[in-house]
Amino acid sequence: MELESILEKHFGYYSFKTGQKEVISSILAGNHTLAMLPTGTGKSLCYQLPGLILKGKILIISPLLSLMQDQVEQFKRFGEKRVIALNSFLSSEERNNVLTSLSSYKFIFISQEMLRIPFIMGRLQGLDISLFVVDEAHCISQWGYDFRPDYSKLGDIRQKLGDPLTLALTATATSRVREDIIASLRIEKINKIESTIDRPNIAMYVENLSDYHDKKDRVIELVTSLQKPGIIYFTSKKAAEQIASLLVDKGVCRAMPYHGGVDQNSRILIQQQFIYGQLDVICATSAFGMGVNKENIRFIIHYHMPMQMESYLQEIGRAGRDGLPSIAVLLHSPGDEQLPIHLAEGELPSEQQIDWLFNRLSDEQRSMDVGGQLPNQFKEFGGFSEVQWRIIEDFVYSPHRHSSRLEELQAAFKKFINERFIVKKKNIFQMKKWVEATSCRRELILRYFDEASSGKVPFCCDQCGLQLNDYQTGQLAPMPKANEELWKDYLAKILINRELSK
Amino acid sequence: MARLASIILYCLTQLNGERTIYSIFHLLNGKKSSQTIQDAHLFSLKNFFGVYEPLTRESFEDIIQMMQESEWIYNCGEQRFLPTPTGKSFLGNHPLPKYLNGWDHHSFTTQFWERLSFFIQVTSNLVFQESRYIPIQKNKHVHQWLKSVLREVRVPRKEMGTIVYSELVECFDEAHDIDPSLLVFRLTGFQQIGLTASQTAKRLQLDYHDYHIGFINILHYLIRNINEKANRFTVLAYLMQDLMQENELTFSSRKTQKLLNQGYSPEMIANHRHLKLSTIEDHFVEFALNVKDFSIDTFVDTELQTKILEISKHSATKKLKLIREKVPAATYFQIRLVLAKYGDR
Ligand SMILES: Nc1ncnc2c1ncn2[C@@H]1O[C@H](COP(=O)(O)OP(=O)(O)OP(=O)(O)O)[C@@H](O)[C@H]1O
Ligand SMILES: [Mg+2]
Ligand SMILES: [Zn+2]
Repeated sequence: MELESILEKHFGYYSFKTGQKEVISSILAGNHTLAMLPTGTGKSLCYQLPGLILKGKILIISPLLSLMQDQVEQFKRFGEKRVIALNSFLSSEERNNVLTSLSSYKFIFISQEMLRIPFIMGRLQGLDISLFVVDEAHCISQWGYDFRPDYSKLGDIRQKLGDPLTLALTATATSRVREDIIASLRIEKINKIESTIDRPNIAMYVENLSDYHDKKDRVIELVTSLQKPGIIYFTSKKAAEQIASLLVDKGVCRAMPYHGGVDQNSRILIQQQFIYGQLDVICATSAFGMGVNKENIRFIIHYHMPMQMESYLQEIGRAGRDGLPSIAVLLHSPGDEQLPIHLAEGELPSEQQIDWLFNRLSDEQRSMDVGGQLPNQFKEFGGFSEVQWRIIEDFVYSPHRHSSRLEELQAAFKKFINERFIVKKKNIFQMKKWVEATSCRRELILRYFDEASSGKVPFCCDQCGLQLNDYQTGQLAPMPKANEELWKDYLAKILINRELSK
Repeated sequence: MARLASIILYCLTQLNGERTIYSIFHLLNGKKSSQTIQDAHLFSLKNFFGVYEPLTRESFEDIIQMMQESEWIYNCGEQRFLPTPTGKSFLGNHPLPKYLNGWDHHSFTTQFWERLSFFIQVTSNLVFQESRYIPIQKNKHVHQWLKSVLREVRVPRKEMGTIVYSELVECFDEAHDIDPSLLVFRLTGFQQIGLTASQTAKRLQLDYHDYHIGFINILHYLIRNINEKANRFTVLAYLMQDLMQENELTFSSRKTQKLLNQGYSPEMIANHRHLKLSTIEDHFVEFALNVKDFSIDTFVDTELQTKILEISKHSATKKLKLIREKVPAATYFQIRLVLAKYGDR
């Protein structure tokens, strides 16, 4: 069957998006493939569709647990039930159930920490794997902004699984990172499909303010005048909360905060309210956006500077998925880089914390549990955050360090942490340089990702003379009136289909 | 925060200065310690057990402070308070939420809400013949429950919505002292996403704490009414499937109970389970509270039982220390057992 008709029959789409067909054809021709496609262009389809044709299993390695859950749901919406996510969300009973019936699944999502467990690896080795997918493959490289030490072992794991056909997916990787991915996966011949990371319908605008405190008023002005819906990204939860209530209280728009401190149930509702147009603006930390597919987002505002170019690109990439003109505004004031530096520091365990921990670790404790679990009370007593703790576990249990002695390990770990901090700082200054640049911003981004310029874009960036008022609403839409619907009417609206009862 | 304040005022009245305010905090949180469980029984506060699980210590302390500043309560010992006349009249003017029944329902209230909200979402999308939507509920048990309900329920799919609608309206309409808006606007349906708790509170112009209490009050009302009239609310009755029979004992006490039934003494059980004797004693107190045919006679002879009860009634106290001073022959454990078994009659 032709690829297009499979696409239509199974997914209900009439044409491929940029790059999809090339990647799928490359896989079906049996080539290892590295695909770099812009955010939100449907990278998942690049393994979903081949999965329907290839005989064996599709194994997908994915770094983010929450993302995995979204993807499983996406599959189910297309009517694909043979899909499972193997991660630490499963209870040990559920996990055992899944493992005994593993062969009945077609698509298997797995997190890298599960691959550490020899028993699970054993089960995977017994499967016929047609395609080995590495999602968010930039995590492999220590030059990638979200380096996961465990990811660098995927080369080993590929070998153990018998060198299966491999697809590495990423949206944002510099050429250096791409080289790292290929080397790390130990693939000799790989087909590279790299579409441009440029999103020509997203204009970029950096606005300099002389004082951080001016941002509040400015963001209200912007949100009032810009076409909605939109997302405002923050680095701090508190600021996100504050601006969201300001927007609501001033009657500017329907807004809600969204961050790690919001409970799971409310998060789902807020995300869905946004998708269904019941909210105009989300005030979010980077926790928001992953797996959110809303076509018509018209603006992204950055209240704070992101930690690196890659995140910036990912975040503004949520705008304009319908191809219509959209704008990304970054508000900048002197000294803004301090917050991300502070944050970068906080993501890594401190010297004292490391010393404290190693004083309590004994060699035997380390070798006891191969599953990769340090005693949890250490995490609590040492005051380690989730992120810090993950870094420690990844490092201490990485197989090639298993033989080293504790003091060596401690020294190596400190060195590793230092290097990470240097990389992070470098990324922040790269970002700062871009913010302060006086030449075309699009060109600079392309250059950062080693791409040749694709020619002039009509609505490009502030440096190319972009005017914000092109993105403003013609007339100021009044905020929808306070809803006075009665509960019985609401209930009738959702439960009784008048069309049907006619 | 009128609703929460009146609950706290009521609790303070019942406690009569014999416990600290934190016993109220633990009570509202539904803390599964034998002390909290016993207090709920002793002071007849079972209805409020676990009705505000998400309440944080900080907000609780803020509320107490606010109540003190408004002179609704006054200090009567370390971390102990009693209602002032103003507080008492406030309580008189703000009756307690009538349907709260934390003791019987707290363990499955959340599950009931998860079922109800997911059931409505699925029904609504059925009615509008939509099959592609994101479930707002992630709990796998709730998904399994729903699947089995859809298999069993004997109602034509096309009429589901109308039937659920009329059952819900009928059920709500039987009570005049609740506002169903607190719950209904949180429901998600076809292309219409429900509000979060804080959004609903805002829309109804309620303080967040009062919103929460009001919401739980409605859930407990629904649970009770559906359960009582299961033959009338035939579809809603599925929401209650397998919820009520849950054993009230904590997991650990059940293990202790097994050993007890095999004839082990408290000391032997403590040894066997590598637990402190005091923990095992806590379990026994739990049995005295919850297990109807559990006899305490082997631990306290009946004469001593009568004595302890008399002293407690006579001096109108449930303070262990005071009782012990007057009945030195009894141990604390024995006093707790007696109060647990007969204290609230
Ligand atoms: N050919 C197509 N035509 C129309 N829509 C498509 C097509 N392929 C995928 N989509 C839709 O595009 C959206 C984005 O898909 P997906 O999540 O796979 O993107 P992604 O590239 O992985 O994004 P991210 O960078 O956020 O991870 C989904 O809603 C998907 O259903
Ligand atoms: Mg993706
Ligand atoms: Zn430009």
